[in-house]
Amino acid sequence: MTDVLFSEWLKLRSARSTQWILATVAGFVTLCAVWSFYIARYWDGLSPERQAKLQAAPAEHPLVLTLPLCMAVLGVLAITSEYATGLMRSSLAAVPRRGVLFAAKAASVGGVASATGLLSVGVAFGLGRLIVGDRAITDFRTPVSEELPWLLSLGLSAAVVALVGLGLGTALRSTAGAVTGLCVLLFVLPGLAPLLPAPWDERFAAILPSNLAEQIAGDAADPVLGPVPALLILLAYAVTALAAGLVVLKRRDS
Amino acid sequence: MCRNASYTTVERVIEVRELTKSYGRTVAVDGLSFQVKPGSVTGFLGPNGAGKSTTMRILLGLDAASSGEALINGGRYTGLRRPMYEVGALLDANAVHSGRSAFDHLRCLARSNRIGTRRVAEVLEQVGLAGVARKRVGGFSLGMKQRLGIAAALLGDPGVLMFDEPVNGLDPDGVRWIRELMRSLAAEGRTVLVSSHLMSEMELTADRLVIIGRGRLIADTSVRELADRFRRGVTVRSPRSADLTAALAAAGATVDTTPSGALSVQGLAVDEIGDLAAARGIPLYEVTPHSATLEEAYMELTSDSVDYRAEKSIAR
Amino acid sequence: MTKDVFAAEWLKLRSVRSTYITLAVPIAFLAMAAMLALYAANMWDGLTPEDRDHFGLSSLSTLNADVTGVCLAILGVLVVTGEYRTGMIRTTLTAVPRRGSLLLAKAAVVGAVALPAGLAVTFGTFFTVKLIIGDRPIRGQPSSVVAELPELLSRGAAVTVYALLGLGLGLILRSTAGAIVSVFMLWYVMPLMAANLPAPWNERVGSFMLGGLPDQVIGGDNENSIFGSVLPPPIALLVLLAYAALPLAAAATLLNRRDA
Repeated sequence: MTDVLFSEWLKLRSARSTQWILATVAGFVTLCAVWSFYIARYWDGLSPERQAKLQAAPAEHPLVLTLPLCMAVLGVLAITSEYATGLMRSSLAAVPRRGVLFAAKAASVGGVASATGLLSVGVAFGLGRLIVGDRAITDFRTPVSEELPWLLSLGLSAAVVALVGLGLGTALRSTAGAVTGLCVLLFVLPGLAPLLPAPWDERFAAILPSNLAEQIAGDAADPVLGPVPALLILLAYAVTALAAGLVVLKRRDS
Repeated sequence: MCRNASYTTVERVIEVRELTKSYGRTVAVDGLSFQVKPGSVTGFLGPNGAGKSTTMRILLGLDAASSGEALINGGRYTGLRRPMYEVGALLDANAVHSGRSAFDHLRCLARSNRIGTRRVAEVLEQVGLAGVARKRVGGFSLGMKQRLGIAAALLGDPGVLMFDEPVNGLDPDGVRWIRELMRSLAAEGRTVLVSSHLMSEMELTADRLVIIGRGRLIADTSVRELADRFRRGVTVRSPRSADLTAALAAAGATVDTTPSGALSVQGLAVDEIGDLAAARGIPLYEVTPHSATLEEAYMELTSDSVDYRAEKSIAR
Repeated sequence: MTKDVFAAEWLKLRSVRSTYITLAVPIAFLAMAAMLALYAANMWDGLTPEDRDHFGLSSLSTLNADVTGVCLAILGVLVVTGEYRTGMIRTTLTAVPRRGSLLLAKAAVVGAVALPAGLAVTFGTFFTVKLIIGDRPIRGQPSSVVAELPELLSRGAAVTVYALLGLGLGLILRSTAGAIVSVFMLWYVMPLMAANLPAPWNERVGSFMLGGLPDQVIGGDNENSIFGSVLPPPIALLVLLAYAALPLAAAATLLNRRDA
């Protein structure tokens, strides 16, 4: 099992697309720093009353939308690129126990996504605090210990989304289908939630991955779910997608 | 049949002039020059990585040359208005969308050059895929995809044909079919350029050979000349080997004795050996001239240019 | 010659499954909108007058126009990346060595599908919902076809821009995942990020976002949305067209310069 794990990790690490994705994430972390810098300069130019009232999106905000997207693509490509290049057949010949192969893939994707998620969010947050320094800007002043649950759950949800990408990619075997599906999950469904009649609009919105992170951290304004149920639902996404993927992988020809 | 039986000097000629293509610091094609004329099958040979596919892609306007010219019918491929009527090419049999049927795939290509569906049906018939015309290409074997690619090349009934490794994946029947097809196309007055690394197959198919290695021209010759160039000598059997050996040596030949008792004579032609033996009254039981097999000739020519050579296998 | 290339590209589009899948989604959405409208109408009938004042249903034709736009952008992407992925692009370029003609033909085919699809879906959703809701003055619902005509036309036609944008991105990036992600970034993520800028920049930048342009083209003010309305109609139209034209221009340059 460790051999398969190691080979899957090597595959992921050496793929050009992985480098592109990580570079994109790094780019967005830079954007977070730029944002913090901009807010700091902007704040400096305001009058004291306006300074006190300024509501600015926090440093890690650019990542909130883009990190899950990047990680989703990472998960999708980890599997669909093998199908596209025909590498899947060699992989299955080398590791005929498909459950083992899939578990190794999930572990390496999950590992890379968690590490990337936590690291990028941490760095963005840290840089933000560093750049803003002593300025009393709301959302940049909350103690780190209070922010920690939020940052952790952001990183975790990025990893979960990557696994959903892997599962969906395996089930659909199509890059376009899986990437679009994930974009719909992350972007389109939140836009559709308000259309539903109350109270379903709130409930539907609450279970979407993009809203689960803040409920897990206990930060949501009017949370529908407590932290533990939210966490369970988030994990359920990954489990369901991976299960679907595994079923398809086991049943179909390569 | 071809529509034009007569042609000017430049028509149907593939010409490559001082062609060079580099990717960064790697030089894939290095000052390559050769001509391919109509009426015969020209084999384009070389070890893997020699630059055959690159040259073909440049000829077809897919890649841009770093310097030099690659001309078909005296002009660049990209200048042709309905290229499929003049040049047909098979580069990669797998380059098809697996969701389409064979018929649809050819129809799309044909339509871009205003070739009708009747012709599509004709070429499918010609390559033997008429029975599976409406089936998804994704389900085709490699051999069937190769046939589909050849059908695509034939759609416009072109005077120039270029095939990149067409026999890959074909069974012996298919290999023979392609060989006969190429020879008949050449016999009709078309220009046929076939790239391959299968020497044995080229021997049976091609009339002329262009051999390249490391992007450079190694030989541009006919198959016969190449074999003759690497002649290996004459095997002679006689009951009076000792006398014969002395006589041949005196005439300036190099004589070796093989383990089976036959003589291997270098430096004298067959008739000279016969005359010499007759003059001395020495009976001859066998006089057989040997050319190197084309494979040996090819290996010797390209031995310096092989980039990726496997070690002799070490049996354990 | 160009007519032939166009006909060939049209045949290509028609013979691939993904075309029908991307066109089926807006239709499925229309069905969903109908069900939603039915539900809303039923609910409305049972409400007291004060509750009715609080009850709202946003414009479903606008929403479906957006959905159709994204679907057709994905279609535009696949028209190109499908060829690169299979290696078919080399065969295509051998049959059509004039790369400018090929790009033009692909753009024309994609546009020829997107424009009628966008208009049909937008108007279709509008009329379906209108039929179901009837005369009920539900808040957020458009009043009459005549009043809504400019908006329906603008949003429906804008779908063409989305499709051509997808085509351009597909050619530039040559990657299915990359191009689809870029479409969603431009359509969804960038406007949300722009909305975080302090005033007046959030409105100014928001006005340039793809989703906010159709309304500005007809002189609207993008109320109730994160988009601004800083641009006068002619400028808004130019910016909207630029979303298609600039990527296509870049794609044309790259297509001509790159090896196949």
